[in-house]
Amino acid sequence: MKNNIKVERARNDMTQAKLAELAEVSRQTINAMELSKYVPSTVLALKLAKIFGREVQDLFELEKIDWK
Amino acid sequence: MNYLFPHQYKKIGLMVLLPSILFGIGVIITDFSPEFLDIKIKFVLSETPFSSLNNNLLNEILGVLIILSGLVVAFSREKIEDEFIEKIRLESLVWSVYVNYILLLLALVILYDFDFLFFMMFNMFTLLIFFIVRFNWQISKLKKTSFDEK
Repeated sequence: MKNNIKVERARNDMTQAKLAELAEVSRQTINAMELSKYVPSTVLALKLAKIFGREVQDLFELEKIDWK
Repeated sequence: MNYLFPHQYKKIGLMVLLPSILFGIGVIITDFSPEFLDIKIKFVLSETPFSSLNNNLLNEILGVLIILSGLVVAFSREKIEDEFIEKIRLESLVWSVYVNYILLLLALVILYDFDFLFFMMFNMFTLLIFFIVRFNWQISKLKKTSFDEK
């Protein structure tokens, strides 16, 4: 799954630490998601979308390898 | 509900666990057994019921301390116990169960009598120790590699 967290974070001029605080997760979790090492739960995905004022689909996108 | 202790307990647990392990290893090496901990124990559940034996309580006390403090250290929350940390916790648990039982399988096949018993003495604690080391190593690796990019 691809995500635009880093792009949205830059657009909102937000550090990983700030986003982590708002989403109530650790900074490591934000970093892991930006590096595509971790796929967030639906709840966290919805929280991130809400923080950026976007739809979930704007933030996350399925890739071919997600279908198996 | 995830059956974890509060975060502050981790430090307290470590303060008990580390000295207990070091002391325990010292006791094994030196065969230390202070007289005031000698007691006579009556066995109820044994092949010959109500027989009795002299026993030094030190190894029982240390064993209980290591297991209890080990459980607390292993299963205290991280400062921020979020879903990603929970995933690492689960992975580490699976990993340590595998490693522990691979070692146990090997020991079962290649060690006999008192050698096996000696191994089993450590095996009482290794599952917890493997988990604690692996989990905390993974967490510290994350903290090191994740720098803040603007």
